[in-house]
Amino acid sequence: MNGFFAPARQTALHRANPALKLPLFIVLFILTMLTHTIDGSFYLACVFVLLLFMASGYPLWKTALLISGFALAFASASLTMVLFGRGSEIWWSWGPIVISQESFYRGLHLGFRSIAFGCQGLLFVLTTSSTGLFYALMQRFKLNPKYAYSFMASIRLLPMTLEELRIRRDALAIRGTGGSTRSRALLRLPERYALPLLAQSIRRAQRTAAAMEVKRFDADRRRTYYYSSPITSADWLVLLLLALAVTAAICLAQELPVFRLGDMRTGL
Amino acid sequence: MMRWIAEVEGAEHKRAAGEVPPLPSRPKDAAAMNTAVEIRRPEAMTAAEQVLRSTAVRQPADRDHEAAEDAAAHVQVLELNEALLRPQEPEPSEIAAEVIGLRLKFPGVPDLLFRDLSLSIRQGEKVLLLGPSGCGKSTLLQVLGGVIPRVTEVPLKAERLKVPESAGMVFQDPDTQFCMPYVDEELAFVLENLTVPREEMRPRIEAALREVGLNLPDIHVPIGSLSQGMKQRLALASALLLAPDTLLLDEPSALLDPEGRSAIWTAVRRVSERRTVIVVEHRIDEVLDWMDRVIVFRDDGSVLADGSAAEVFSRYRGKLREYGIWYPGAWDDALWGAAAAPVSAEEAPRQERRSEVLAAEGWHLPDRTAAPEIGALEPGAARGGDGLAQSAAAASAMCESELRAGRSDRPKAQSEAAPPAAGGAFDEPLLRLERFRVLRGGREVCAVEQAAVMPGDLIALTGPNGAGKSSLLLGLMGLLPRQGVCQFGAAFPASRREERQTAAKHAAFVFQNPEFQFVTNRVQDEVAFTLRGEAEEAALTAAQAGGASWKRRLTRRVATLSPADRRRRARLAAEMEQEAARRASACLESFGLGGYEDRHPYLLSLGQKRRLSVASAVVTHKPLLLLDEPTFGQDAQNAFAILRLCEELRAAGHAVLMITHEPEIAERLATQVWRIEEGRLTSAKPTGRSRMDGILLSKGGEAE
Repeated sequence: MNGFFAPARQTALHRANPALKLPLFIVLFILTMLTHTIDGSFYLACVFVLLLFMASGYPLWKTALLISGFALAFASASLTMVLFGRGSEIWWSWGPIVISQESFYRGLHLGFRSIAFGCQGLLFVLTTSSTGLFYALMQRFKLNPKYAYSFMASIRLLPMTLEELRIRRDALAIRGTGGSTRSRALLRLPERYALPLLAQSIRRAQRTAAAMEVKRFDADRRRTYYYSSPITSADWLVLLLLALAVTAAICLAQELPVFRLGDMRTGL
Repeated sequence: MMRWIAEVEGAEHKRAAGEVPPLPSRPKDAAAMNTAVEIRRPEAMTAAEQVLRSTAVRQPADRDHEAAEDAAAHVQVLELNEALLRPQEPEPSEIAAEVIGLRLKFPGVPDLLFRDLSLSIRQGEKVLLLGPSGCGKSTLLQVLGGVIPRVTEVPLKAERLKVPESAGMVFQDPDTQFCMPYVDEELAFVLENLTVPREEMRPRIEAALREVGLNLPDIHVPIGSLSQGMKQRLALASALLLAPDTLLLDEPSALLDPEGRSAIWTAVRRVSERRTVIVVEHRIDEVLDWMDRVIVFRDDGSVLADGSAAEVFSRYRGKLREYGIWYPGAWDDALWGAAAAPVSAEEAPRQERRSEVLAAEGWHLPDRTAAPEIGALEPGAARGGDGLAQSAAAASAMCESELRAGRSDRPKAQSEAAPPAAGGAFDEPLLRLERFRVLRGGREVCAVEQAAVMPGDLIALTGPNGAGKSSLLLGLMGLLPRQGVCQFGAAFPASRREERQTAAKHAAFVFQNPEFQFVTNRVQDEVAFTLRGEAEEAALTAAQAGGASWKRRLTRRVATLSPADRRRRARLAAEMEQEAARRASACLESFGLGGYEDRHPYLLSLGQKRRLSVASAVVTHKPLLLLDEPTFGQDAQNAFAILRLCEELRAAGHAVLMITHEPEIAERLATQVWRIEEGRLTSAKPTGRSRMDGILLSKGGEAE
């Protein structure tokens, strides 16, 4: 798991300070949310897919694999709108399903936006380590170390719980259904998994907490940091890159519109 | 609710002064802080602040030389400074940690854990705390380490409580001591807490790693990639970064394999030269020779013995055995005690009862008193009416190779006396493997060219971690994809699904953590669950044998279920249920769990949980028992109890295949040792112990 998500090369996005990257990406999210023309959302999606391939630092096939998941997001976001949305110019209808011109384009618009969202999120996640993010947040935004370190510790505990889930599955397979019917066994399934896994997780979390405190962790005290959180040229580069990407999308939507439709909220 | 919180950390005023520990603090202050016991937190804080204020005066005074009225104070402060900077000489008589009249109570537990316990430990002393599980050793260690009540708030009262100025602690579980993903980050976490400047961190981290013998080429490695033993040494390194004068170790080697165990103790020994060391440990082979003092606790938390190791051992060996401590020679006592020690008066009836119960259940146990020593099996020695003992006598003359070739001239009639689960002949393999491969994610993780498990085998599956031992067992159970021949008895499964069912019918599997195996909320149901499953299976096969297809059965069930039929069915079900309950109780009784029928399995003790998991696995007389490190992390009492169970099953004609890191099991108990290295069974050697051998372990080590 860890091996898969190790980037092949470090790009400026990796080197940038996460504390700056985070607000930048939040601005991007808001910008995407406020895009109401289908040309705008289309080009935003294109630009960020391209950026993901170029700047995430992962080999092409891995990026493609990760992006393939967005096809589903695209389909689910657009299909409901396409099939059930309202509109005046009806293309096709069958029972409750009505496809109109408006609903079709609105559906596509939604789909493009969800792809743009997805790509931005993925770009941030793939280029940011959790440790780096929390260190930056602690130093730049005065995040309470209590939360930062407990998050980092819990990330460490996740794979152990996964492993235990696997063991529990095997154990249940060996124990069988105990004579009860399949459907009844299915009903009891959540309980059967939850009890041992939770019991074990609680014990583990408690032990980890004790170990941290024994190492004189005290959230209210001044502390030094192993990783510094400086502003470097990489940050400016990332700022420039993202600004360029957004400007390119806006310009392309203006100069080379594909759909030539107006604001998606108020008819076409 | 009244709660006493003892504020005992001398570190508090060091922190505020912004100094990096360890700095010898003024003994007076420390004493003042440490005697501030039995006051509630706010008061303790004010007391601490007063002490702090007196320390803080010195800085303005230093700068303000001309202030005449301050002169007197100034002199005083200088004296204080001197006291502060004077190197602390490690006087042997100086006390490192002390409790007087300690009383402690966990919420929800009716009894006090300690009743006026007094104990003092001198600086530089190496102390080992021993006692039965649950006697409060670990709790006391946490009190001495300042974890209780500073971190874990437990109601506690003490006339005097002095804890070390700075203490480093290592816990039992290697996986839950770290909060960061990488080695360097984890160690840096400690230094961050101590406000060490960033530039100094790396050299300090490297020095600490060297000190514990962790020579990593790159310190930025994921902690997950380290072995368990290395993780414990990392935990020790992070304790050392606190520059502690006292090291507290809470069973640091309990969850390690033998190599990891010796490595951690070597490291501890190296770093403990001038430090006070307090150890709680069940396995004391590696520790004993450098301990100055051994303190043994009773069940109720009072001190039974306190003295030098030699003294304690010569006088309290029996007690140590009872407490489940792995003292040197515990194996000898457990094995040879069986033949030497006569069955005690109170034990005898239980022994009888168990044999009766087992016999009624179809298990044939040879008479325990007839248990012979390894290689000393004489025909006359194996008396008793059951066929197994006779066959054992008959077979004792045969050599191993003949047995394997199956050239036994034992009368066929005798094989009927063998347990039904063994499936007839004693020399038919229970499990035969040929060109067997286990795959995980499409990759071969374990390969066995040829191997066989015979009735009466106890096979120790050994090998380094990650070599594929667990995968082999999971493969045998059909839980992982596999190739090649894996034949249980005479069954020839056709599909993957059938393979798994056949495996489930012939083999029982016991996981390392018993909790993962429990599926019900009552101890008795846990065993009955398996029985019901078996009954269901039997009904299903009977129906299939009757030639009824699934569809026809369903239609028939719906069409022809008259009220009379339904009543008959209900009665049958009720009878079956009763029978299951009866057998479950009998089984629990024989596993020493009688009286716990209505408990929740999670509320049993560690050893009881382990026995319940075995009980629920073997109640249906499956001929093969697979165990994943059954004695791992257990105290001697529980470990010998589980091994004795395995021995009983083995002697009754079952076969046991267990993964183990315990060299003693492989050398002394096993009939075969399979070694797995790098995903391949490299050797499967008989050890010279006969399959017909009687039970070796005595009952003395049995836990209740």
